Amino acid sequence: MTRFLASTALAALLAFPAHAVQPAEGETLAENQTYTYWLLDAIKSLDPAKNTDVEGSDALRQLFEGLLIEDAQGNMIPGVAESHEVSEDGLTYTFHLRDANWSNGDPVTAGDFVYAWQRVVKPETASEYAWYMELMNIANASEIIAGEMEPDQLGVRAIDDKTLEVTLTEPTPYFLSTLSHTTAYPVPQSVVEEHGDAWVQPENIVGNGAYTLASHNLGVDIVFEKNPEYWDADNVIMQTVRGVTVNDNNVALTRYQAGELDRVQIPAGQYPRLEQESPEEATSVPYGCSYAYIFNLSEKGPEVLKDNRVREAMALSLNRDVIVDQILQGGQEPAYTWVHWAINGFAAPEGGMAEMTQEERNERARELLAEAGYGPDNPVRLSLQYNTDENHRLLAIAAQQFWRPLGIEIELNNVEWKVHTDRLQNQDFEVARYAWCADYNEASTFLDWFRTDGYNSGKWSNEEYDQLLAQAATADDTTPIYQRAEAILDEENPAVFVYHYAKVDMINPAIKGLPRENLRNTWYAKDIYRTAE
Amino acid sequence: MFAFVLRRLAVAIPTLLLLIVFSFTLMHLAPGGPFTGERALPPQVLANLEAQYGLNDPLWLQIWNYLVGIVLHFDFGPSFVYPDRTVNQLIAAGFPVTLTYGALSFAAAVIFGVSLGAIAAIRHNSWVDYLAVGVSIGAQVLPNFVMAPLLVLVFTLWYGLLPGGGWSFDDPSFWIMPVIALATSYMASIARITRSSMLEVLGSNHIRTARAKGMPEHRVILRHALKPAMLPVISYLGPVFVSMITGSVVIDIYFSTGGIGKAFVDSALNRDYAVMMGVTILVGALTILFNLIVDVLYAWIDPKIRY
Amino acid sequence: MVIDQSKMQSLSDRLVQDEVKGRSPWADARRRFWKNKAAMTGLTILVLVVIFAIIGGRFAQWSNEELDFSVMGQVAQMGQPSLENGHYFGTDNLGRDLYARVVQGTQVSLMVGVVGAAIAVVVGTLYGATAGYVGGRTDQLMMRTVDILMSIPYMFVLILLLVMFGRSMSMLFLGIGLISWLDMSRIVRGQTLSLKNREFIEAARATGVPAWRIIIRHIVPNLLGVVAVYATLLVPLMILTESFISFLGLGVQEPLTSWGALISEGAGTMNYGTLWQLLFPLFFFVITLFGFFFVGDGLRDALDPKER
Repeated sequence: MTRFLASTALAALLAFPAHAVQPAEGETLAENQTYTYWLLDAIKSLDPAKNTDVEGSDALRQLFEGLLIEDAQGNMIPGVAESHEVSEDGLTYTFHLRDANWSNGDPVTAGDFVYAWQRVVKPETASEYAWYMELMNIANASEIIAGEMEPDQLGVRAIDDKTLEVTLTEPTPYFLSTLSHTTAYPVPQSVVEEHGDAWVQPENIVGNGAYTLASHNLGVDIVFEKNPEYWDADNVIMQTVRGVTVNDNNVALTRYQAGELDRVQIPAGQYPRLEQESPEEATSVPYGCSYAYIFNLSEKGPEVLKDNRVREAMALSLNRDVIVDQILQGGQEPAYTWVHWAINGFAAPEGGMAEMTQEERNERARELLAEAGYGPDNPVRLSLQYNTDENHRLLAIAAQQFWRPLGIEIELNNVEWKVHTDRLQNQDFEVARYAWCADYNEASTFLDWFRTDGYNSGKWSNEEYDQLLAQAATADDTTPIYQRAEAILDEENPAVFVYHYAKVDMINPAIKGLPRENLRNTWYAKDIYRTAE
Repeated sequence: MFAFVLRRLAVAIPTLLLLIVFSFTLMHLAPGGPFTGERALPPQVLANLEAQYGLNDPLWLQIWNYLVGIVLHFDFGPSFVYPDRTVNQLIAAGFPVTLTYGALSFAAAVIFGVSLGAIAAIRHNSWVDYLAVGVSIGAQVLPNFVMAPLLVLVFTLWYGLLPGGGWSFDDPSFWIMPVIALATSYMASIARITRSSMLEVLGSNHIRTARAKGMPEHRVILRHALKPAMLPVISYLGPVFVSMITGSVVIDIYFSTGGIGKAFVDSALNRDYAVMMGVTILVGALTILFNLIVDVLYAWIDPKIRY
Repeated sequence: MVIDQSKMQSLSDRLVQDEVKGRSPWADARRRFWKNKAAMTGLTILVLVVIFAIIGGRFAQWSNEELDFSVMGQVAQMGQPSLENGHYFGTDNLGRDLYARVVQGTQVSLMVGVVGAAIAVVVGTLYGATAGYVGGRTDQLMMRTVDILMSIPYMFVLILLLVMFGRSMSMLFLGIGLISWLDMSRIVRGQTLSLKNREFIEAARATGVPAWRIIIRHIVPNLLGVVAVYATLLVPLMILTESFISFLGLGVQEPLTSWGALISEGAGTMNYGTLWQLLFPLFFFVITLFGFFFVGDGLRDALDPKER
């Protein structure tokens, strides 16, 4: 996606009216239109301003609808906004809302968006995702979060009930694709004010999505029923959607096989077997996250990692093919770039370690370590920190074994999640496992991470890299810029990139319409239906 | 007796206070906070959150406010990780579930355990005895985190008899597997204890006297043997109760029952201070209460004991 | 799984009586113990398991951490137990040798069990003996404290400790040991109370031996019977506790493992055609627990025979 996104997306909006779900030729709909999906854990919050995780987003997407929504390929299509215009300077967006209702019958107005977005940035709301409004570059968002300005100064304004105007601080190529995120959903002011924090409980909640909340049994299940007030309700086939929590992935698979679930994640290493036994059900599609081992290059980090030869040797000698083909075995791709390979418009730079064979890499790694004065007789000693999780454990053990023959002795340090992130953010680690998922479908969502002022837990810093990313925000053709940025990461090795995620699931073949090409696996129950056997 | 109960209740309050202060401090000393996440929060957002939940007050003031909230309003505060709900709501949702399958498991363990143990003792050295001993020894050491997935495999996937998880107060088919998984090992322990204490009682003088008087065997057992044989079982019930609550973590994880066992482990791992404190206090209070009930029961059955 | 406290009480009473009669309970007990078939079976099992833990590693053809790349990725087909490729017990999901891992897990679990029980017994004995010997206000205070501690949900505290201090062997030992000395201290106190007024203690006191020495030299040795039985029965409880902690993912660090960790990994994959990953560690776990129970029960019955 380039900076043309705004205009091309606009054209797309005008060219294609909202699509309707249609069973394909020869399919008969099942009597019983229900869909049951798996949740790893309890849904933490159903408040769009307070949701922070994937499970919550999946639920909220059924209950609410933003200005734009995504189609099966992840392209932005009209949601509540029928159309929109962008000003010449790219700083002002005007959205025209369609006639849509809340589930209590009230009309959805531009004011609902203004209220919702102001609510996100208001310090009293204490939204963990307030930063999302900064990512969207909405005018004055940062100042309001910091308490320096009043919430009503946020760059969003209702011109009339059906017209919403958004002002940005700078041209933002990816702005439209942020609009399908839960943080940007409208909320009904009267309901929120009447019930306070309890407004999202089943007896109170009012939404504008294709479904309403029938029940929510925390840690057990959540049930959605079709919303007759939804503007496109005529085209919604699925009647009931149910999310079922199963904390153990293996038990979840058992329950899928017993027919209790329609979709479940496949545990590491089980994809080949299931693919063979039930090829119609086992699926693997690219998923926009990258996995890496981050080096701590801050002052607190170990001296030995300041030597790029050591870092490069570690990056070279990690056998990614074994990791994806023999451990994960679910269609993941070995990673030699930070940006996920399937990101729109991204091309990996030429050359670099991606093009060497593993023997060549190991050979080179040995030379580099020898130059740096290390080897099996004088090993580098480091600790690798990972948080408690079966896959992280398996990978860390394998990494330890790949590095040992070269003279890199790794001590494994398994800590629980909160400790892990706390240490990452305070640079209390040597090498640490990390993963980043795309916020939107463009390379900068990954590359921004390594900017000097990015999240960048390892505190790597490179002036040219920072400049490149600043340029990219306004450049016409970003591909060479991003390639150069990746080439710098390849030279400097602030981290070992390990693999690019795939979403590996068992899906009931009777369920149709789940997106297979959406890199962020954004799905809407209104687009799916169940066919008869 | 009454004085004894009063004294025990009086001790309960400092005990709970100690527990609260200890857990609260430990929790806040642990690295990471409730809002530590994959993406570091901008300092301003974090400050807003901490102000909202009063986390920027000194620790002693936080503990004080917390205690005041409980004592004056019976309010355990808002959950940090589940912002839509208060701790009172979370416990009100989870505790009845744990209590239901916990009480059923408890009853099942006691009834089947005592029966099995008593039958084994009465038919001492018969095949029934050997079978009972064998079963109870085996069941005692099989961890419930092996038993639980095995049950799902057998009853849900292979035979399709029971739902593989979830919870409903209306449908007992959801209760069966949690109860089996939780009760089995305690049932086995109770059977072993009952058997050995029953054997001892059956060999004692007053039973011999009763038999010598020509009393029918079933009356001997019911009237004279069972009651004294129950004493060691009763003293064992306190610990059973406590470890059942602990064991409920496994049940909640495998059967998605939504009980408070999982809520506790999650709250400790997520640093959801308020939920963790709420569950700890609840479990602590229940433990105290239950130990008290057991002691009273013990005194009631065994008149030799005086408090 | 809990120790039968009433039997411990009876044992303790009996040992004190024997002291009164002035004969050691040990000679008779030894005879009775050797005759107890279950106890001897248990002892044999334990000896074999300990031997396995100590020298089992010598027969392993793989270390407990190296990955067998020829097996990795197709463990269900290639990783089953086999003499040919040297994986006697098969491999785990990463292609690591399960035999070597079971040997090493056995070492860890036995160590956690024994050290945990030892900590519990030492703390419980010293605490109980001190309370009983000193008596008066101190005794009151110490035993009220035990009452208070009794009502704390310990597993919760243990989880908190591991979360807070991070996982490590020493934390595990300490945490597991510290949760089970309370019952021990009560029994020891009771026994100390009845020992305290004996002539030999009074004689020692009269000659000016300091209190701590009397406790160590005269009281504690007389408690040995109870302590030995209690310790034997505590070990399996410690092993069970450790397995639960491992299940929660708070156990020892990789590449080290324990029975609990191995069983919990094996249980996760029981339906994927790799059942050996569950059965081998479970077998050792189960027989060892049996062994300790039989030996503990046997010791107790030997010291406190009912059919007198």
